[in-house]
Amino acid sequence: MEEVDNIIIHSLRSIGCSIDESVESLHQFNTEVIVEAAVKCLRVISGLTELPTSLPPGMSARFRLGTTLAQALTDLGYRGEIGYQTFLYSNEADIRRVFMFLVDKLPRESGEAVEETLGASLLLQRAISAELARRLSGPWSPPYCKTNNLVLRGKPAGLVREGCSASHRFLARAVTMPTGCGDLSKKIPKEIKAYYSKDLPLVSHQPLHKHELAPSLLEKNAQEVTSQQEWEFEWNQQGLASRLTQQEYKARKKQRLQKRIADQLRQGVQRGEAAASGTADLMQLVNSMSDKGAATSKTKGSRFTHTEKLQFAQDAEKAAAQIGVEGPKAETEEELQKKREDEVQQLRDELGGLTSKLENLELDMKKFNANMQQMEEQIGLEKRKNKEKEEAYKVKKRTLDLLPDAENNIVKLQSVVDSSAQRLVNLASQWEKHRAPLIQQYREVKELNENRVSEAQKKLEEIRVLREKMKEVADETRAKDDLCKQLMSEYERMTKDVNRSAYTKRIMEIVGNIKRQKEDIEKVLIDTRSIQKEINQLTGKLDRTFTVTDEVIFRDAKKDEGVRKAYKYLAALNENCNLLIKTVEETGGILREIRDLEDQLENESHKKTTANLEKIQSDFNEMKKENSTLIAKLKGK
Amino acid sequence: MELSTEVTDGLQLSGDSAHIPDSVFGALVESVCDDLLNRENGGELQIADKFGSVDKASLKEAYAALMTFSLECAKNNADSSNISSVLEDCKFTTERIKTFTNIFLEKKSHIQALLGSVSHNPPHIVDVDWRLDYYIKNNHVDKVNQPTYLITLKTEECGQQDTKDVQFACTMEQLQDLVGKLKDATKSLEKASQM
Repeated sequence: MEEVDNIIIHSLRSIGCSIDESVESLHQFNTEVIVEAAVKCLRVISGLTELPTSLPPGMSARFRLGTTLAQALTDLGYRGEIGYQTFLYSNEADIRRVFMFLVDKLPRESGEAVEETLGASLLLQRAISAELARRLSGPWSPPYCKTNNLVLRGKPAGLVREGCSASHRFLARAVTMPTGCGDLSKKIPKEIKAYYSKDLPLVSHQPLHKHELAPSLLEKNAQEVTSQQEWEFEWNQQGLASRLTQQEYKARKKQRLQKRIADQLRQGVQRGEAAASGTADLMQLVNSMSDKGAATSKTKGSRFTHTEKLQFAQDAEKAAAQIGVEGPKAETEEELQKKREDEVQQLRDELGGLTSKLENLELDMKKFNANMQQMEEQIGLEKRKNKEKEEAYKVKKRTLDLLPDAENNIVKLQSVVDSSAQRLVNLASQWEKHRAPLIQQYREVKELNENRVSEAQKKLEEIRVLREKMKEVADETRAKDDLCKQLMSEYERMTKDVNRSAYTKRIMEIVGNIKRQKEDIEKVLIDTRSIQKEINQLTGKLDRTFTVTDEVIFRDAKKDEGVRKAYKYLAALNENCNLLIKTVEETGGILREIRDLEDQLENESHKKTTANLEKIQSDFNEMKKENSTLIAKLKGK
Repeated sequence: MELSTEVTDGLQLSGDSAHIPDSVFGALVESVCDDLLNRENGGELQIADKFGSVDKASLKEAYAALMTFSLECAKNNADSSNISSVLEDCKFTTERIKTFTNIFLEKKSHIQALLGSVSHNPPHIVDVDWRLDYYIKNNHVDKVNQPTYLITLKTEECGQQDTKDVQFACTMEQLQDLVGKLKDATKSLEKASQM
C-alpha cells in the first residue's frame, strides 16, 4: 500500500495541494487535507471552481460540502459507496479508494506530449509562437534607432527585423564557381585552370550588387540539387534500362533533343512559308524556287561573257562619248540620251542572242556527252559478247579435235569425269569433317553469348532493385533522423521528472513482489496438496487395518471370551480415535475463524470507529447547538 | 539541408589540409562570413594577398563552397550538431569543425538577418501625425459640430530610405473603429504567441 500512497501523495502535490513533507501515507491525512485534495482534483478534472478548498467552520456547511463532493464523484463515475461521511469521518481504505479513482482520472500531461511529437506542424507552430512572443517582448523603438531595421529582442537577445527600408526583392544572378580543383583524378584543361586562377572573380564579387549575393548562391545550390535529383530519377527510370554508360546516354539524349528541335524548326519554317504564300499551291512555290535556281545558274554560266560585254560596252560608250564630245555640239542632251538608250538596247539584244546560243550549245554538248556514254556502254557490251563467243568457239573446237578418236577420248573423258566426281565427293566429305566442329563451335559461342546477355539483363535488374533499395533506405534514414531530432527536442523540452523513474522502479518492484508472492502461494498449495494426499493415504490404511483386525478378532471372538473383550476394546478405540480426529479438525476450523476475526478486528480498529463516533457525537452536539441558536434567532425576530 | 555535389566537393577541398592549410582556414571562414555580411574586407585583391600561399583556383572553390554552406546553414537554422554531421561527411577534422562552428554560430543571427532582408513587404508604418479639426457649421446647416481627424501615416517602403506619407481623414466613429481593429490585431497576435 505504501507505493500507492506515495503515488497518490505525489500526484496531489503536483496539482498544488499543500501537503506536509512529513506526510508519507494516507493514514496521516486529516479531514481538512482530504477535502482540500478532493476539491483540487475535481477542479483539475472537471473544472468545478465554486467549491471552497478549505473546510468551512459551520457544521451544516461542512455537511453540504461533503454531500456535494460525493455527488460530484458519483457523477464522474465512482462506483463505490460514498457519502458525506467518506470525507468528514474518513477511514483509510475508503479514502484510498477515492483518491486512487481521482488520481486515475487526472488528465495525463505526459501522454499528450507523446502524441504531440507526431505532428511536425505543431512543433513549427510552437516555434512560431515562441518567436512572436520574443518579438512582442521588447518596447517599440523609432526607426532612426535601428541600423538596417535590426533590433535586439528577447532573451537570449536575437536580431529582429522591424521595418522594411533595408529589404529588397529576391533577385538571383548566375554565378560561377570553380569545380574539381581538389580532385586530382580528373584533369581540368589548362585554359580553364588559368581562367579559374586568374580571371574568375570570387563568388562574392560576381553579382552586380552585394544584396544579390545570397539569393544567387541559394538559387544555384537549389538548382544543382534539383537537377541532380532529376538526373538520378531519370537514370534510375530509363538510363539503366538502356544499358549505356552515362556519357553515352547523355549524348544520345542530346542528339535526340537536337533532332527534335530541328524537326520542329523545319516544320515551323514550312508552316510559315505556306502561310506566306497564302492559298497558292505548294507546287507553284517549288516551281518558282526551281525557276529562281535556273535563273541564277544562267547568270552564273554567262558571267564571264557578261562582264566582258559590259567592259566592251563601257569602252564603246566611252569612245562614243569621246566622239560625241568631238562631234558637233548641236546635238541636244535628249538626243544623246536616246542614242545611248538605243545602243544599250541593241547591245542587250545582242547579249540575249549570244546567251541563248550559248545555252543551245551547252545543251548540245550535254546531249553529245550522253550519247558518248551510251556508245561506250554499247562497246563494252559488244566486247563481252565477243569474248563469250570466243570461249564457245574454243570449246567447240576442242570437241571437234577430239571427235576422230572418239571412243578412246570418251573413255578418257569418262575417267576424268569420274576422278573429278571422286574428288568432289572427297572434298565434300572433308568439308563435312571441317564443318561439324565449326558449327558446333558456333552454336556454343552463340549460346554463351545468349547466356551472357541474359546474365547482363539479370544484373541490370539487380542493380535497379539495389538502387531502389538504396533510395528507400536513404529516405528511411532521413525520416528516422528527423524523427530522432524531433524526439530529442521534445525530450529536452520535457521537464525532467524524477518521479517517472521512481514510478517505473516502483512498478517493477511491485511486479517482482507479486511474482514472489505467487511463487510462495504455489509452494504452499503444493504443500497442502501433499499433506492432503498423506492424510488420505493414512486414513485408507487405517480403515483397511481396522477391517482386517476386526475380521480376525471377530472370528476368534466366538470361541474365546478374552478375545471378545479385546474386540469390544478395539471398537471403542476406533470410535474414540475418530472422535479425536474430528475434534482436531474442528479446532483447526475454529483457529482459522479466530484468525479471520482478528483480521476483521484489526480492520475495524483501523477505521478509527471510536474516534469517528466521538467526532460524530461532537458534530451532532454542535449541530444541535447551531439549530438551537437558529431557533432562538428566529424566535427573537 | 541539401547541398549539391559542387558544394560538397568544395567543402571537401576546404577541409583538406593539403589544399587549405590549417593556419589559413580560420581566417578563410572569417573572411567568408564578413564578406557575406557586407563588411569591408578590402576587396578581392586583399583576400588574395591574405591567402597568398594557397592555389587561387582552390581558394575560390573553397570560398564559394563555404559561403554557400554558411547560407544554407543559416537558412535551415542549423545548430552545431547538424553542422558537424555535414562537415564530418566532408572529411573535416574535429579541429576544423570546431573552428567553423565557433566562427559561424557567432555570426549566424547576423546572416539570418541578412537572409531576412530578402523579402518584399507592404509599407511599414513607423510614425503618425494627427490633427483634430472641429467642423462647426456649413452653408446649409448652422450647427454641425463634428470632429474630424486628419491622420498622416509615415511609412517605410522597401529599399527606400525616406518615409512616405499616407493621408486620410476620418470621423470619430471611424477612428474608434480603426483603433478597435488595431487592438483586436494586437490581441490576436498576443494570443498566437502564447500557444
